[in-house]
Amino acid sequence: MTPFSKTDSGTIVAGFSAVEADIIGDLAAQIAGMLVDLAGSRDVDPLFDSVGIGGSSQLDDDPAIARLLPDAYGGDAEASRDFRQLTERGLARRKVTNAGIVIASLERGAGDVELDEQQAQAWLRTLADIRLTIAARLGIETDGDEGATEGDAATSLHDLYDWLAYVTESLIDALES
Amino acid sequence: MAKTLESTELHEQTVVDSPWVCLVWNDPVNLMSYVSYVFRSYFGFSHEEADRRMLQVHNDGRAVVATGSREEMERHVEAMHDFGLWATLQKADA
Repeated sequence: MTPFSKTDSGTIVAGFSAVEADIIGDLAAQIAGMLVDLAGSRDVDPLFDSVGIGGSSQLDDDPAIARLLPDAYGGDAEASRDFRQLTERGLARRKVTNAGIVIASLERGAGDVELDEQQAQAWLRTLADIRLTIAARLGIETDGDEGATEGDAATSLHDLYDWLAYVTESLIDALES
Repeated sequence: MAKTLESTELHEQTVVDSPWVCLVWNDPVNLMSYVSYVFRSYFGFSHEEADRRMLQVHNDGRAVVATGSREEMERHVEAMHDFGLWATLQKADA
């Protein structure tokens, strides 16, 4: 990977190998796939759907989804439920949209990406969502916790998790340069 | 001249509505640099202030990042969830 940097015109550019670009694109697609039902029309009331209302009534059983769409009220299950019903669909939709922006920006060039400010923000959020999902799959729950480490799959997931941290740092540096 | 009110019982309840707070909680995943960046870019904190609150999250497990009306805090919490930060709102005195 050629790290992110800011161009004279203010866009943010980076270079990825074909493999790296495929990996990020696949992971973004997995985030979108995981959330698409919650972003979509679970109960198809056109009025509710048009304003984004119709979220679920409780925290999802899948720890990754639960982490991406957490409860909003500390210690108030009822308020959390009401808020979730009003906002969950919108939140899930924005995450799906961000993932779509990442995928689209990777498809334009052969591994090279050029992002405007809005696209860079979508990248930042999707990278965070991907890392949170990987951490949930590895069972990383507290600081210093490495989660699952046994087996080749866990090892590659750890490598990916660390590399995505590097990509995120690089993007933050470029945004603030 | 205005008359002195005979009862002043309503004061505290109606005038000083208990404010709400937006809390960000520590998690083992999000990078310290990312949390600090979010605090700067979203809340407009200076570098120093953003780092101070980020370290508070890291060391104390949580930090108050905003205070105000319930509606405002709901907006902030949603924005934090957009970023993948773990945030909640509650009454300031809770």
